[in-house]
Amino acid sequence: MEELGKIHQLIIPVFGYNITINLEVVVMTWIVFVLLITLGIFASYKKQILPRPIQAVGELFISVLYGLTEDALGKQLAKTYSPLVCALFMFLLLSNWLGIIPHLEEPTKDLNTTLGLGLMGFFIAHYAGIKSKGFRAYIKEYFQPIFFMMPLNVIGELAKIVSISFRLFGNIMGGSIIILVVSYLTYNLVLPPLLNAFFGIFVGTIQAFVFTMLTIVYISVQVK
Amino acid sequence: MEFEVQTAIKIAAYTGAGIAMGFGAIGAAIGEGYTAARANLAISRNPGISGDIFKNMLVGQAIAESSSIFALVIAILLLFMNVSNPTHLKAAAFLGAALSMGFGAIGSGIGSGYPAGEACFGIAQQPKFSSQLTTNMLIGSAVCQTPAIFSMVVALMLVFIDFANAPLTPTWAAFVGCGLSMGLAAIGSGYGGGLAAGASCEGIARTPQSVGSVTTVMLVGQAVAQTPSIFGLLVSFILMFKSFPESTQLATPMALLSAGLCMGFGGIGPGIGNGMAAEGAVRWVARNAEQSSALMRIMLVGQAVSQSTAIYALVVSLVLIFVV
Repeated sequence: MEELGKIHQLIIPVFGYNITINLEVVVMTWIVFVLLITLGIFASYKKQILPRPIQAVGELFISVLYGLTEDALGKQLAKTYSPLVCALFMFLLLSNWLGIIPHLEEPTKDLNTTLGLGLMGFFIAHYAGIKSKGFRAYIKEYFQPIFFMMPLNVIGELAKIVSISFRLFGNIMGGSIIILVVSYLTYNLVLPPLLNAFFGIFVGTIQAFVFTMLTIVYISVQVK
Repeated sequence: MEFEVQTAIKIAAYTGAGIAMGFGAIGAAIGEGYTAARANLAISRNPGISGDIFKNMLVGQAIAESSSIFALVIAILLLFMNVSNPTHLKAAAFLGAALSMGFGAIGSGIGSGYPAGEACFGIAQQPKFSSQLTTNMLIGSAVCQTPAIFSMVVALMLVFIDFANAPLTPTWAAFVGCGLSMGLAAIGSGYGGGLAAGASCEGIARTPQSVGSVTTVMLVGQAVAQTPSIFGLLVSFILMFKSFPESTQLATPMALLSAGLCMGFGGIGPGIGNGMAAEGAVRWVARNAEQSSALMRIMLVGQAVSQSTAIYALVVSLVLIFVV
């Protein structure tokens, strides 16, 4: 039970400061990158009119996510943002599924990954807002309904980052803690595989979808 | 009163088991009762498919039950746990774990009853689409359980992590506050998520073609309704892992305790309110699927406004932890 709440860290001292790197997360993220790139190469290799199975899977993914983006953002903006949305969803899906393989850990179990992705979504949404409405109208939004609501509006925007990143982190980390504790209590008999299927595949898919949808919707709230 | 370490831990464990299971039993029973009531109504409407409705009712009730099963697991753990490194702090951690799980199971239990009941009723109306309804019910009520799962995670961490090095005086209050923050904040979110999921099952029964957009809006609405419980999780992690300097004053522990109380009670209302916003949006997306993106946007803006009270609670409890 000693692993509970422990993180493997590489600490490099540089001129009196300590640079801390969460080794496990970095390695696992690279594994996800390699898997994604391999999948992409296989899906787009020798494209045919009559698609091979892996090409069909790739096209299905892209068309479903493209449709979702178009529903929320409209035709024009969907062209700009749907590649981002597809990449985000596939990265999260593979990351969340990685934990069902023994000895591998989900990169999304670490707050740094999810916070980074949340910050990315936040900045992209605000960039899109400024680009479509203009800077004056964008700033003016913060002084709605009355000017002294400004600090609360800013805190409300920042709370979106906290909620979106902690939602993913809490679900994935919670799942892994419950699996760890139940495996310890039942001596790895019967229950852990079922729990892995539930938290890894089911909850992982739902949370990847929710994170992606929320990123799209935050962009659409800023744009319109 | 001064207790010996073992006595204190025993007292905390027994009290805690009672709190965890006693409060944990409330929600699931109400949810299951609602499901059974809707199933009765459904069977009287369409007696020909009573077998399907009965099956669906049992599956839905089993999911609603899971939150109180989490509570049972924590209660049994507390009763039979052998503490390897007993300190007075462990007693406080046990109490915190029990509060977190006991309160945390209430909302999710009631909430999960709604999708199950509406799915039973929907099957009576649209027997052909029973598989879609059951799938949607499973997704909706599984997402409803998320606040209860968060509570269970906090409870397990409090029970199993060894905190022996922390100073007793402010940390005991941090642990109890940690449990209160997570447990109470989970009530509203679980219930609100259930409202959204129930509306989506009802909507799919009304217009089965709109299943895709209804499920999407339901998931987004539930996710935003869970935000107060995520704030509760944040506050309880801070209380659990921040190391507080030892102090003999009574004010410091009280500040930590009320940080937990503030976030916990502050999360109940926004969770339910956000759930109501999501319920309305989902219900009308089912009736008017072309406007789903506009409805979703309005839902999010409305939820952001009703969320602001949870944000005030978060700000006050962070001030209580870091400033006072």
